[in-house]
Amino acid sequence: MIEETNTDRRTGSLEQELVLSSLESGQLAEAKKPFPRRTLGASQTLVLWFMRIYVLFMMAVVIYQIWSGAGN
Amino acid sequence: MNAITKMESMLHGMDARARQPVITHEDVDRAHDRALVSAARARGGKFSRLRLLWLLVGPGILVMLGENDGPSMISYAATGAQFGIGFFLPFIVLTFVMAIVVQEMTVRLAAVTQRGHAELIFDRFGPFWGWFAMIDLGLGNFLTLIAEFIAVRAGLGFFGVPPWAAVLSALTILYLALMTHRYWTWERLTLAAALFNLVFIPIALLTHPDWRSVGHALAGWKPLPGGLNKDVLLILLANIGATVTPWMLFFQQSATVDKGLTTRDIRYGRFDTILGATLASLAALGMVLATTPLFVHQMSATHLQAGEFAQALQPIIGRFGAALFALGIVEAGIVAAITISTSSAYAFGEVSRRPHSLNLPFAEGKAFYSVVFLCAAAAAAIVVIPGLPLVKVVMIVNVIAVLAMPPALVFLFMLVNDKEIMGSFVSPRWANLLATTVVVVLVTAGVLFGLSVIAPAAFDRFASQVTRTLSAL
Repeated sequence: MIEETNTDRRTGSLEQELVLSSLESGQLAEAKKPFPRRTLGASQTLVLWFMRIYVLFMMAVVIYQIWSGAGN
Repeated sequence: MNAITKMESMLHGMDARARQPVITHEDVDRAHDRALVSAARARGGKFSRLRLLWLLVGPGILVMLGENDGPSMISYAATGAQFGIGFFLPFIVLTFVMAIVVQEMTVRLAAVTQRGHAELIFDRFGPFWGWFAMIDLGLGNFLTLIAEFIAVRAGLGFFGVPPWAAVLSALTILYLALMTHRYWTWERLTLAAALFNLVFIPIALLTHPDWRSVGHALAGWKPLPGGLNKDVLLILLANIGATVTPWMLFFQQSATVDKGLTTRDIRYGRFDTILGATLASLAALGMVLATTPLFVHQMSATHLQAGEFAQALQPIIGRFGAALFALGIVEAGIVAAITISTSSAYAFGEVSRRPHSLNLPFAEGKAFYSVVFLCAAAAAAIVVIPGLPLVKVVMIVNVIAVLAMPPALVFLFMLVNDKEIMGSFVSPRWANLLATTVVVVLVTAGVLFGLSVIAPAAFDRFASQVTRTLSAL
């Protein structure tokens, strides 16, 4: 077990003071809690699905281009 | 004091301790940086503003100069060599305006929510959509990292450095930057390295550009050289992908949180982004101007790569200029390797809820630092495998970035307009309009690219129609 010295304790409390005076409460790493999940409307879900299909399709196009280029 | 009173006071002390927030090492480091910001703000006056600027800029410049990476600089070099300046100088400026619009949103998101981009997507949209975003980011980042090491290899190859030594030296620099275990030191070291990107401005001056033509190109936007065709479309996509990519969103938001910017600092975050975009666009324009002599003298530059551009320019800019060019490519690759692998590590830490900060000592941030280093090491290892089609990777990286950007922008757009987390900091209508325009432009460019690959004849018909219409205007 590491014994805490007076200097450690003083430094610790000084650091705590510095942190609490310099950072906003939302900036403390351990204090951050996940935000609640949002409810997506039909149009928002549709846009997200459209984008997903778009990107998958485009990736297939890129793979096809590489494959057909390799054949040439 | 009786036993009951003693016990009560002990319990009171325990309760007070339990209520005290847990303070971590990264909080202490960040607090030291923020104390300097508070002191500068309290002082007031003109110099304090300059001091605040010095303290608060960083993520914006890093992200913009970081995106002037190996593949991007090669794309700009190819642009100048194949198409000259008429259409592309103003086009490149426009892509940086697009980048400012997009990246400013990440500054606001970071300052208001104090969360990274990946974390916010997972929290607000759930893991189903979150994992999609992470796969896009992970794949794009890994391919881009490979391209960065290709650039380093090609740039150092100009000086006769063998590939394994080139890649190893880039990895060593990345490792040394990480070992500072301090966001501020890491940021300043990487910024110093990133500013070397501006070397393409003196290189451009060595080619003695025709400033009147440059002025004409910037003031009056000339039509596409040779009209719209497949080659032009590819270079357009490469230039867009050289300025706006998904990793930039994740990096700037996480780095802004790590730096500790709050809502009071948003103005400075905006300035940081605009300054970064200005510096990066100057370097990009410098690169286009530097290689334009190859276009003017009609030298074939279609298949030139980084080191070969330096060799091709040597008769025009001399051995010293060519060496600077090669070093510029090396810098572009190394700085981007640092920032891109850091963006992957931030995202990994945010999603896995592990500590993720450049202020972490190694013992507390093993997972974070390991992701940065392992991503880079894996990409570096691929680059030294003999016989791999490295040229194709470089060509395709920016195209993939453009294709993966619209979904990333939709998440960003929805988050920055989310009143529950953003409150009064939601985007104004004009910003939404601009952001929507960016998404539409990117989707259109992607669809045209798809059409050119799947149905080339239909694309040719469409392209010649567009060319006719544009020349009639």
